Amino acid sequence: MNFRTLILRSLTFHARSHFGVILGAAVGGAVLIGALIVGDSVRTSLREMALLRLGKIDHAMVTNDRLFRAQLAEDMQAVPVLMLPGVAVNSDSEIRADRVQVVGVNEQFWDLANAKPRHVNLEEDQLLLNEALAERLGAKVGDSVSIRVPKISSLSRDAPMATQDDDTAGMRFTVAEILRPEQLGRFSLQANQIPPYNAFISLARMQERANATNRANLMLASGPAPNVSEHWRLADADLELRPLTNGPVTELRSPRVFLDPPVVEAAKRAFPESAKLQTYFVNSLKVGQNEAFYAMVTAAGPPWVPADMRDDEILVNKLLASEIESNPKTKLTLTYNVVGHARRLEERTNVFTVRAVVDMGGIYQDPSLMPDFPGMTDAESCRDWDTGMGVDIEKMSSNEQDYWDRYRGTPKAYVTAAAGAKMWSNRFGDHTSVRIQGTNVAEIEKALLAELDPAAIGFVLQPIREQALGSSKGAQDFGGLFIGFSFFLIAAALILVSMLFQFSVEQRSKEVGTLLAIGYQAKQVRKLLLGEGVGLAAIGSVIGLFGGIWYAKAMLHGLSTIWRNAVGTTELSYHAGAGPLVGGLFGAIAVAAFSLWLALRKQAAQPARELLADNDGSIAVHDRESSAGKRNFYLGFVSLVGALALTAWAFGTSEAAKPGAFFGAGALLLMAALCFTGMFLSMLEKAGAGRAPSLGGLGVRNISRRRRRSMATAIMLACGCFLVLSIGAFRLDENLNATERDSGTGGFLFIGDASVPIRSDLNTGEGKEFLGLDPEDLLEVSYVQMRLRPGDDASCLNLNQAQRPRILGVNPAALAERKAFRFAKTIEETEDPWSLLKKPTEDGAIPAIGDNASLMWALKAPVGSVLEYPDLDERGQKIRFRIVGGVANSILQGNLIIDEDVFAARFPSQSGYRSFLIDGPIAKADEIKKQLTRDLRDNGLELTRTTKRLAQFNAVQNTYLGTFQILGGLGLLLGSAGLGVVVLRNVLERRGELAVMMALGFRSSSLKRLVVTEHVALLLLGLVSGIGAAIIAVIPALQAPASDLPYDKLSMTLAGVLFSGIIFTWLASAWALRGKILDSLRNN
Amino acid sequence: MSESVLLQLRDVGKDYQATDDGEVLTVLAGTNLSVNAGETIAIVGPSGCGKSTMLNLIGALDSPTAGSVSLDGEDLDAANEKHLADLRNRKIGFIFQSHHLLPQCSVLENVLVPVIARGPADEESVERARRLLKRVGLGERLNHRPGQLSGGERQRVAVVRALINQPKMVLADEPTGALDRNSAETLATLLLELNEEEKVTLIVVTHSLDLARKMGRTLELRDGKLEELQ
Repeated sequence: MNFRTLILRSLTFHARSHFGVILGAAVGGAVLIGALIVGDSVRTSLREMALLRLGKIDHAMVTNDRLFRAQLAEDMQAVPVLMLPGVAVNSDSEIRADRVQVVGVNEQFWDLANAKPRHVNLEEDQLLLNEALAERLGAKVGDSVSIRVPKISSLSRDAPMATQDDDTAGMRFTVAEILRPEQLGRFSLQANQIPPYNAFISLARMQERANATNRANLMLASGPAPNVSEHWRLADADLELRPLTNGPVTELRSPRVFLDPPVVEAAKRAFPESAKLQTYFVNSLKVGQNEAFYAMVTAAGPPWVPADMRDDEILVNKLLASEIESNPKTKLTLTYNVVGHARRLEERTNVFTVRAVVDMGGIYQDPSLMPDFPGMTDAESCRDWDTGMGVDIEKMSSNEQDYWDRYRGTPKAYVTAAAGAKMWSNRFGDHTSVRIQGTNVAEIEKALLAELDPAAIGFVLQPIREQALGSSKGAQDFGGLFIGFSFFLIAAALILVSMLFQFSVEQRSKEVGTLLAIGYQAKQVRKLLLGEGVGLAAIGSVIGLFGGIWYAKAMLHGLSTIWRNAVGTTELSYHAGAGPLVGGLFGAIAVAAFSLWLALRKQAAQPARELLADNDGSIAVHDRESSAGKRNFYLGFVSLVGALALTAWAFGTSEAAKPGAFFGAGALLLMAALCFTGMFLSMLEKAGAGRAPSLGGLGVRNISRRRRRSMATAIMLACGCFLVLSIGAFRLDENLNATERDSGTGGFLFIGDASVPIRSDLNTGEGKEFLGLDPEDLLEVSYVQMRLRPGDDASCLNLNQAQRPRILGVNPAALAERKAFRFAKTIEETEDPWSLLKKPTEDGAIPAIGDNASLMWALKAPVGSVLEYPDLDERGQKIRFRIVGGVANSILQGNLIIDEDVFAARFPSQSGYRSFLIDGPIAKADEIKKQLTRDLRDNGLELTRTTKRLAQFNAVQNTYLGTFQILGGLGLLLGSAGLGVVVLRNVLERRGELAVMMALGFRSSSLKRLVVTEHVALLLLGLVSGIGAAIIAVIPALQAPASDLPYDKLSMTLAGVLFSGIIFTWLASAWALRGKILDSLRNN
Repeated sequence: MSESVLLQLRDVGKDYQATDDGEVLTVLAGTNLSVNAGETIAIVGPSGCGKSTMLNLIGALDSPTAGSVSLDGEDLDAANEKHLADLRNRKIGFIFQSHHLLPQCSVLENVLVPVIARGPADEESVERARRLLKRVGLGERLNHRPGQLSGGERQRVAVVRALINQPKMVLADEPTGALDRNSAETLATLLLELNEEEKVTLIVVTHSLDLARKMGRTLELRDGKLEELQ
């Protein structure tokens, strides 16, 4: 026989009295284990979603607007894809879907799917939709759907000389199949649980319609990452080598017109003697009153210009010299356009001194110096030019046409390379060609490729699967979240467990006394009891394990239905790995055992002689009474003063600080109420002593006799009520000051997302005209246009951890002049936080601003920190963001915002604007939305009211708060059962006393009523204290214009607590006073 | 039988605070007692005279407010709680008026409970328990629970439990108080026989003059002092 035997005997013998403890431990365990299972289920679901969206894909190379040969992918045993954002319209119903991923695929693509669709070799008119898009469009197999995608051009549409022709292409298809998720239906490179809208079409059709024949912008590979540099060609970097006819020279040039700086540097390394040139289209060259319009000017070094030519000197050819009568030393004014953001043309002038006049012929009669400008190269006549540079045909005379007829793009003037760079440098590059000595194209290509790092122009295969799994792993911990939500439920269960167990142990005081008397040390007795408690905790937790599975399923059902707003998906499924089950089981046992240990730590502290004596267990209750009374008074007084001061301050403070301040005031008020209650009970007890007793007085004396126990119950109920009610103070209201600039909407009316970039400035008449809008329409509407680099949604709507957040490029002045949004935090004190985006950082990191909550929780990059972006920029440079500011609870959630200039420099291929903040009169909101979405339907502009967007974000927090309130309410109900236990303990202890009262003539029903009444008073005390304090805490929520506190649910919760408290009290009284109570008198 | 002194009480006093106002109740005052090893002693006296208090002091369950108690040459005042528990376990056996057996344990297990306070019960202890139980006529009831025994049987189990660790002294607080006449008689005889067989000192607090007469010495506690009755 040993301790274990004794523990086992106790467990079995007292099984009936342990039932309540086991039940409490089971409830606590179920909630704890269930929460962990929820966490595991969400993680596993996200992992499964990540694997589903990628199929067998391990690596991906995304080159966006930069196209590589589809053959390159095939050479690398990879799959070429042309993926573009687009708009889909159900041709029959006219239902539109914006933000569609249009994916051009070949047969090999489906090898990457876990299950192949029936249609792997798509006909030109066949279209496969994923379930999300099919549902959105209401489309089924056989339906006709049209798709519109942006046309791709090698020369960025933001670049100088880019044409302004129609930049989208429409196609009509018949839906051939609806793809299930395992058929890559959810294919996406972004980590998000919300399925994208996917439309799969034939790669060849897509290439043809998007002006990208035999090209791709996405490479997908299964297995280890193939090496790009082993297989790529210059053509993959949109480069070509063209042997010149006027000498043993080969020219490196690009359909992109401007050579990327890394390309020029590689050429210089490979061929140090090579010559870098830039030829630019200028508006005019003027000497005095004589002016020649529209000509090419080349910036170069020798031999085109003398080695000693100054940067303010210019060479002009003979024809120009004669046309504008320029001679050496005359001043020549050069006028040219540069392209600003939103294709705004800015005319600049520069004055040069004519250094010399050169003859036509030789290197000065070289039309190949003009790059292949798309709208010019093939033009027969000057009048056919489509330069995108604002050419005024009326200004041209026959001279220009004659020159074009005879010399085509031969430059009319030459400046130094430095002068050219100063005037025409742009984000796409400083040079239009590099001339290399020699004509062996193959050798030159080999040498160039040896020097050019594919990563330098953004050709990097990303370990997309690894990153996706990382995102799902780093996802929001729903286990922790639900433990938090269920905190009060767990706490109530554990308090119940410890109360019941303590109660049970107290009933066995003689057993404890006997053990002490026969030589057990107090700690040995506690060890025995704890062993018993651990056994109970284990049994309860094992039962809780099954309950936990049920609880988790219920919570997951809740997340897919009533709490869907918080997760945005219905696809969270139940998964329970061994980890959460075993970990949860042991955790539950440990937590229950800990609460039992707390309950036991003062057991066996009484002497054996007292435990063995026939007493009512009310030994040594008079300890430290007076000091506790004083402490209550001082603490209560300080808390009350604090509560009043904080309330006064809260009325005058900012909206942001109000909820916290009122919550704090409420908490202090609660503390004061409880302290004064404690003090009051103490005073009642003292006042009652020595007086003639009354029945009511006896009741009060009974509460005050077990003051700690009574107070513990009141505190539990009061705190529970306070928490459940006051948490509502933190509900977010999107309509609060929605029109104010410093609100979460920034004062904007709409937030817009375009599937196809909008390239012009919607604030100008020209910009509207460019898009085919009437410049006189919507004059009261203004726009803040933002560039977008697609990425992971870093808002609370994305359950995955955003690894590469969406980046927005904005003109900070546009937001600063509106004083839009309120900053929760900035890296330094400033009147204009948006200007921080323009302020260079010491370490060269890009200054960035985000939504403060997104920064803190989704990106884990608070203000002041540096965020390392996993991708390189399009120049092969690492991207590091310095977080300089955090905007308070706003519609900017999910994005990182940087300066537009920096954006353009780092991501030059991301042309146009895809994100918009729109100002306009609220009264015309519907009209504005209708007109803009109609007029810009080819761009797939989707407008959302900013209050609606904010509501979507707020819904997450509000849903979580609601969940807390519901689970907290359940905890409160369970807590009211604790009151029953207290009643039971109190009454059983007083059975003798009550028997005496019966013997003295009191009726049994009177005694029951006495007991119920005195304990209901305890219940009311707790509820009133909690509710009173909570009312203070929810003042901000009550003041909100569209306050949506769930009064009905809260009232029902409180009524339920009151009702169940009364029921438990009555039941406990009835049970404790059952049988022949007078027998207990005889026993005594 | 040895004549060595096992228990010594010197000028022992015990006061209790009776009310919140600080009123003091003196139960024992200047009590002296010397008990030799192997003696049998009965302490008698009216209710409330402090018999149980004295037994608690002797049994190291309480400490005196004045004077000293020494057991087997050891001053109990100087011992800490842990040592006192050990002393109770090894040198003292308790028999209470209400047997205070653990209802969840069998007869044999109840007897072994004091043993396992020092570690798992060894075969020797189990054998001793069986032997003693057989000796008191409960050899066939080893696996019965206290609830399945009569009052006299329960008390005999309590006697064996008191003897299991071969204590030097057994303290019995009204051991026959809850028994009928026959059972009381049997138990008294048994206690004396075991005193002989186990060479253990026996101190009994009782109202029963019949039981008291069977003891070697009878002491009366009156007004806080012990007086030897002839």
